[in-house]
Amino acid sequence: MRQSPGNFRPETSRKAFRAVPLAELPSLWEPELNYIIPVKDNSDIARVEALIEKGLTNLSWITGSDIEQGDVIFPRPDRNVVDISYRESDLHHTLFLTNRCNSNCLMCSQPPTKHDDGWLVDEALDIVRHIGRSPSSIGITGGEPLLLGSRLRQVLDHIEEVHPTTRIDLLTNGRLLSDATVASTVLDGLSAQVAWLIPLYGHAHMLHDFVVQAPGAYEQTLEGILRLQDRGFPIQLRIVLIEPVLEWLEDLCDFVGKNLPFVREVALMACEPVGFALANNDICRLDLNDWQVQLSRASRKLARYGVRHLFMNTPLCALPPELRPLAQRSISDWKQVYSDECTGCAFRESCSGLFAWHARAWAPTKITRIEELA
Amino acid sequence: MTTFPVTFHVPAKSAEPANASSSMEGFDFIIRGMTVRQFSPGKYVAVAKSGDWELLSGETLNLLADSTITLPTELSARLISKFLITSPFEGNGTALLRKARSTAKHATVRLGPSLHIIVPTLQCAHSCQYCQVSRALGSEGHTMNIDDLDAACDQVFESSAQTLTVEFQGGDPLLRFDLVKRAVLRIVNRNQRERRTLRFVIASTLHQLTLEICEFCREHGIYLSTSIDGPPWLHNRNRPTKERDAYERTLDGIRMAREVMGPDSVSALMTTTRLSLAHPHEIVDEYVQLGFHEIFVRPLSSYGFAKRNQARLGYSVGEFQSFYEAALDRVLWWNARGVPIREVYASIICNKILSTFDAGYVDLQSPTGAGSSVIVYNYDGYVYPSDEARMLAETGDDSLRMRAIRENERESFPKVVESLRQASEPDTAEGCRTCAYHAYCGPNPVDAQAQHGSMNVHAHDTEHCARHLSMFDNMFKRLANAPEYLLDVYCAWGKPVGTGTAL
Repeated sequence: MRQSPGNFRPETSRKAFRAVPLAELPSLWEPELNYIIPVKDNSDIARVEALIEKGLTNLSWITGSDIEQGDVIFPRPDRNVVDISYRESDLHHTLFLTNRCNSNCLMCSQPPTKHDDGWLVDEALDIVRHIGRSPSSIGITGGEPLLLGSRLRQVLDHIEEVHPTTRIDLLTNGRLLSDATVASTVLDGLSAQVAWLIPLYGHAHMLHDFVVQAPGAYEQTLEGILRLQDRGFPIQLRIVLIEPVLEWLEDLCDFVGKNLPFVREVALMACEPVGFALANNDICRLDLNDWQVQLSRASRKLARYGVRHLFMNTPLCALPPELRPLAQRSISDWKQVYSDECTGCAFRESCSGLFAWHARAWAPTKITRIEELA
Repeated sequence: MTTFPVTFHVPAKSAEPANASSSMEGFDFIIRGMTVRQFSPGKYVAVAKSGDWELLSGETLNLLADSTITLPTELSARLISKFLITSPFEGNGTALLRKARSTAKHATVRLGPSLHIIVPTLQCAHSCQYCQVSRALGSEGHTMNIDDLDAACDQVFESSAQTLTVEFQGGDPLLRFDLVKRAVLRIVNRNQRERRTLRFVIASTLHQLTLEICEFCREHGIYLSTSIDGPPWLHNRNRPTKERDAYERTLDGIRMAREVMGPDSVSALMTTTRLSLAHPHEIVDEYVQLGFHEIFVRPLSSYGFAKRNQARLGYSVGEFQSFYEAALDRVLWWNARGVPIREVYASIICNKILSTFDAGYVDLQSPTGAGSSVIVYNYDGYVYPSDEARMLAETGDDSLRMRAIRENERESFPKVVESLRQASEPDTAEGCRTCAYHAYCGPNPVDAQAQHGSMNVHAHDTEHCARHLSMFDNMFKRLANAPEYLLDVYCAWGKPVGTGTAL
């Protein structure tokens, strides 16, 4: 998560604030929201304090930060730091709902923990109502959000209530939708616009279950996908390109094309080199250029079945030229960087670039400048 | 290459009759629960109930035959994912998937008749030797009466299908355009409250086509379907008229229709006669030259025309197959040169083998689509389950007649349709139950009735079976050797679009 240093008003507790310039406060102010005013000097502080004095108790101020107008932030009272949970100008927005998970994927970028982290949902609800301008879409991630059951539903309903035009991309392994109670709690009467982003790592149970390190997961995920399809929800399948997946990728895509042709799209994703991926680098660390044949054949398979697909987290130089038009700028703004080699690359502007932490781990290929085609 | 040992050539559980047609190559046998067929010497394919398939080498079969061997992961994963073997860990997900696949496959049949054929008249200007039905111009009593026509138009809407195709067949329907026009207007009018998706097709020689008819067709989105049997000399010999200018006049019609109604307003079908057999390339080239994007290389049944003409016009399944394969090669040759032309019969076979969604080709539906997804309102005032069934009636066997168009008390499900359905149930039909191509094919009871005078004959005794066994064998031979670009072509052909037309 993005953070910023900053000195905020003493006694400011950890709750959501929307950052607004003082000049705009009068037109925006609502009693049930909290606002934080980025200020430059003592006279600014005095003006905010005067407002608080008058009874606008839902205000605070901050100095020396790099927060922007529209940010939703949480002050960390113990330190002079704020968490920036939402930034209006970002391309990708995410609500992180839990760190708990019922799978244990070999390449997990966010290794699960066991303790109760229900406060994350409270904060998410708080963030949602503090967002000023409704984003076109917002991602929900974990951990495994379905573990939250009715609380997940609460978040979905809340987003729909406050931001009815916002589309929701929910990243889940779908396993718990095989539980009729959970499925009913989360899905019955759901009117929020939710797209389901569900990873599938194999065309048979032993392949998928191995990657997610959970016996029975394949059957549950498959059931979840089909239940969602039954209810007409859009589904994006996500395939992370690590060795045990790449090895049978063509067969997996054949399976998807034949059996799940209704999915909105398939996202083929380079592995994020962090978390468990570091520990399992023997199967996660690879150069996608060594797998060009498999990638091209997989793409061709999906195309034959008319299944839309795209590449994510893949710098353009990691793909053969014919697949580059399928690559997306997918890495969240705050995680994304370019390397020195990217300087002067003809395709830099349309390239996903790299995860910021590639420097401490690895890049999905040897980054090579692509010259403009003659 | 290792050949699969003879000892494993066990026939499927219920023994097939020993005389099971000599024209069939290969054997179907069961191994680890999979039905496997030798589609070519030393080459095997296992086909699942879902229609998924896997090519197996002799070595792989040896591996599979030894039940003590644990299969390598790649192979077992692939066989599981294609429903060929069952994993002990199979759960709800896979069970739901099987169901979803079956629903997707049968979606075309479940909705009730979507193809409605109206035969306003049997009159035709041609006197084709192989045609069983058409009558000369001016012949009496071969035209539908107005009350029957109106009733037929109304009954089209009794089908619950959202998309309704209404096809006018003959004879040549354009000889009685007045009836066609009346029917189209009545249906279009009724559809203002029914709100179905309508598709009209007129099958015609186009000799009687006029600008006025073209304008009417354009206004109502009516497609024309005509016949081109090949180059002029061949077409004119197959389709004699007094003036011997059938080809030229059909071509005039095609040009006029394209000009008024647009370049894709006309499609054409070809009929293979004995005369065609030596000219597969010329026939295909003719279609390319005329700018058609589709050709349907259709066989005549050896029993499908007047018996007296059989020796002169008929040919065997084998003769047709050699002709067909050469024609298909030529179509693919054109495709490789950037001319996108599709062969419809291969597309039907590809659809069965490669697609999740059945295109609904009536002759290969099981149980049969006759009477359930297609229905014919004939000039004689009766309803028939398929085009072939009404032709059969013309040659004296009216046993497949469903009912009168204006019957007072109508059964919701006529007995004939029930008999057809029972006779074409592939899980019980003799010869189909254990066939490896079970998932793709099914008995054609109308054909059996025409060939043998009975719907309930052993599948192996029918031309329908012999022809399709080799159609599927040959397609697997092609798939086994196809370079990637050809696989792209086969997959594109297999998509269930545009194959819903009447045949």
